[in-house]
Amino acid sequence: MKEVKIPKKIEKLIRENGEADEEIIASSASDMNVACEYADGYVVLTSKALYVFASESDSKQVHLFKGAIVKKDEDTEDDKEWHVRRFPADDYKKLTIEPQVACSLLVITDNEDVERTLTVFSNLHRKSMFKLSREFAHLPGKEEKGEGPGGPGRGFGGPHGHGRGGDGEGEDYCPKCGRMYPNPERKVCPHCIDRKTIFTRTLKYFGPYKIRIVALIIMYTLVAALNLVWPYLNGTVLYDYVLKKNLEFLPNIGLRNANIMTALLLVIITMFAAKLVQQLLNILQGATTAKIVADVVCDMKKSIFDSMGKLSISFFKNRQTGSLMTRVLNDADRVTSFFIDDVPYIFIHSITLVTTVLVMVRINWQMALASMFLLPISFIFSFKFRPKFWNAFGRRHRAERSVNNQVNDNLTGARVVKAFGQEKKEEHRFSSANTRLKDTEMSIVRLDNIFSAIFQLTHNAAGIIIWCMGAFFILNKGTMALGILVTFIGYTNQLDGPMRFMSRVFRSWSDSMNAAQRMFEIIDAVPEILEDENPVPLDNPKGDIELRNVTFGYEINRPVLKNVSLNIPAGSMLGIVGRSGAGKTTLVNLISRMYDPNEGQILFDGIDIKHISFHDLRRNVAMVSQETYIFMGTIEENIAYANPNAAKAEIIRAAKLASAHDFILRMPDGYNTVVGSSGRQLSGGERQRISIARAILADPKILILDEATASVDTETERAIQASINYLIKGRTTIYIAHRLSTLRDADFLCVIDNGEITERGTHAELEALRGTYYKLMELQTKALALKE
Amino acid sequence: MEDKEFNLEQMEKETEEMLKINILNPAEAKFFRTKGGFAGLKVKEEEYPRVQVVRMFPFTDPEHYISIRTVEERSKEIGIIEDMSKIDAETRALLLEQLNLRYFTPVITKIINIKDLHGFAYFDVLTDRGECRFTIHMGGGAVVHLSETRVIITDLDENRFEIPDIMKLSANERKKLDLFL
Repeated sequence: MKEVKIPKKIEKLIRENGEADEEIIASSASDMNVACEYADGYVVLTSKALYVFASESDSKQVHLFKGAIVKKDEDTEDDKEWHVRRFPADDYKKLTIEPQVACSLLVITDNEDVERTLTVFSNLHRKSMFKLSREFAHLPGKEEKGEGPGGPGRGFGGPHGHGRGGDGEGEDYCPKCGRMYPNPERKVCPHCIDRKTIFTRTLKYFGPYKIRIVALIIMYTLVAALNLVWPYLNGTVLYDYVLKKNLEFLPNIGLRNANIMTALLLVIITMFAAKLVQQLLNILQGATTAKIVADVVCDMKKSIFDSMGKLSISFFKNRQTGSLMTRVLNDADRVTSFFIDDVPYIFIHSITLVTTVLVMVRINWQMALASMFLLPISFIFSFKFRPKFWNAFGRRHRAERSVNNQVNDNLTGARVVKAFGQEKKEEHRFSSANTRLKDTEMSIVRLDNIFSAIFQLTHNAAGIIIWCMGAFFILNKGTMALGILVTFIGYTNQLDGPMRFMSRVFRSWSDSMNAAQRMFEIIDAVPEILEDENPVPLDNPKGDIELRNVTFGYEINRPVLKNVSLNIPAGSMLGIVGRSGAGKTTLVNLISRMYDPNEGQILFDGIDIKHISFHDLRRNVAMVSQETYIFMGTIEENIAYANPNAAKAEIIRAAKLASAHDFILRMPDGYNTVVGSSGRQLSGGERQRISIARAILADPKILILDEATASVDTETERAIQASINYLIKGRTTIYIAHRLSTLRDADFLCVIDNGEITERGTHAELEALRGTYYKLMELQTKALALKE
Repeated sequence: MEDKEFNLEQMEKETEEMLKINILNPAEAKFFRTKGGFAGLKVKEEEYPRVQVVRMFPFTDPEHYISIRTVEERSKEIGIIEDMSKIDAETRALLLEQLNLRYFTPVITKIINIKDLHGFAYFDVLTDRGECRFTIHMGGGAVVHLSETRVIITDLDENRFEIPDIMKLSANERKKLDLFL
């Protein structure tokens, strides 16, 4: 153990209470007491004894859990009163952790077999406590006293291995704010990464379409310019010059001797042309936008999908399919809408806003001021509404997700729903999820409405004020012409767009960033299984497999495999027997590196599989498991899944070896029959045979058969058995089976019980041992005999 | 069981045993406190130095159907207590002690703050065991609705917190929780 972090006061207490030469081996904090109250504590293991420190429960103290803990620089607990108990290691034989539903007990067993609870701790400390209990088991003299394999085995013995990460609890803090990372595998502090980075990262997706975006901006600018000219044409020129027969402006545009009708015609043509160009630009703009959006959305979906593909199997186990689908399907659309519908307009509208205001100020600054003073109000409202929108969008996402999950669940389970006649109930379940989604949409609409009401109000108020002021200037002071007023009103209307935009921009921003955040969550997720950057090349491997003291659990304190060591020489066949849930499938999942062991190593030809590239490993290890999956596509494609370039002859051969050839030819389209989700239904046995053919074609060095013949009838099983016998030649085979008859040809067998190998040897040896294997064998033969 | 000879009759008997629902008769089942503070049980001649106490319906019916089980990893059911209220106070206290440890779940009485940040939600709440700050994953599954009004929240480490009735929270607190309802 490298570094053990404990407060100085605790260390001092150990020195006072213990012997001179005690060395601190491991420690862990605890946070509860036996009465189920939160109370700080420590458990420290030294070379001679176990110390348990307890403090009084303090109802005022704030209890921090993962993600909320802030790194402390100094010992703040020094003022606590500690109650110390010392347990000499020699008087106790076992230290175990007993997981409860949401907390765990640390239990010590003395040499008289009396078990006592030392302390209770929340799951926050389970990792360090687990380590401590293992260290206790490693104390000299403990291993012998512990029960041997096959015993109840609640203590997990075993020599030292390299733990995954082996980190102390003190390293996973954000350097900026000192908070603990909620996910130590992904060192991103949600408090410190700001939304700007999401924005810029999202912007990068538009990078490849720069030229089109520039074109788009030019078009926007042109439209804005035309917008600016329009009120002038429509107001000042039309009313004050043409209609008032004021022709002084004509020489300015190069027409010296024109009459009034020409001038009118000219103005009309110009106005018409302006509108026409504007319309054309709009169409062009729409088309360009649509193209960019489609491309970017496509890119984003691809990158989400690709990232998902890289993630380890545990990621998918922890999430619902429907919720992942929502991310791939909906989020990318949401992200882009802001960038296309809003971002370009930020420039355009800003330009329009500034120039329009300038023009308006020049015409009449008092009126300009009047039309503007309400702008900040709607802007502030927009800003204030931001968190509301943010939450509303988050809620809509969750509602969408639950609808998707509901649909996914229902479609996958359609058969069960029908079989039990529960369509009505499912309709109800769906409609309640669907109603929730509707409600969230409605609440967004409601927010929108409040918003536009405020906006309209300010807008209309400003309009009325300007009309009044204009009338005042014209009637009372005579300082303004009617045309000017019309022009001015035109400009006020011009402001409408930018103002409406400014008031809505935060809404769209929330929508987009909310979705982008979820998108990056997937893209940034770090796979638990990482490929070695400089893998050891694997040329022409032999196929030796060795497991060295492998301990593994899906949860750290619930090991499924305990200190398993196993050696499978190249070319031999190992049969694995055991009850369901004993850890057989877990064992082969580790060999194909779906998971990494918590402790110990798995070696392939003497190389730790962590140092082998995924490509080499997956090419050399093929698995036929109890869960068969047939992809959408033809039978041919399904068999050639791992080897798409396989020749027709090879595919046929693989199918023949898997006893699949004949049933395939009974189908109308032979190897071209479309199977999978939408195509023809295959029976369980047929699926299994296709997946066996798939494995045969992959031609791996190591073949794993996990209950590969579980769902075929006895006759087919015999046929497959024959092909397997052929298949295992020259390969290392691991064969898991419940039916012992299928393991007759195994070179040697092992029995796994409770995560440990309890029996191993050849068929004859195990029979002679008269243990579990013998029992199972007798049971199966006698059960068969009874049937006949 | 330890008899290594194969015995079909015995196995069938075991199977039958497994299929039977064995309701413990309070008069016959004598629970006792072990030296180390756990619960032990004596039924007729059979004595179990330590037993596990497990609720079958921890959320919907915590007072009925309590399974008394052996402690080893592949634990077996010794018997079932149908109704906790039908057993004597002392035994009840002993079993409740075990149950409270097993189902330890702080009850949230007040929501101080909830912050939703980048796929995580940071909770600051008052519970019956004091103030707690914990973090959950936003990506599904962390907030489970047991009924329209009852919620279980699971943090990053799978610690649990319960809100027995969201209607008892103030409107303002419910609003904070709104995201998850």
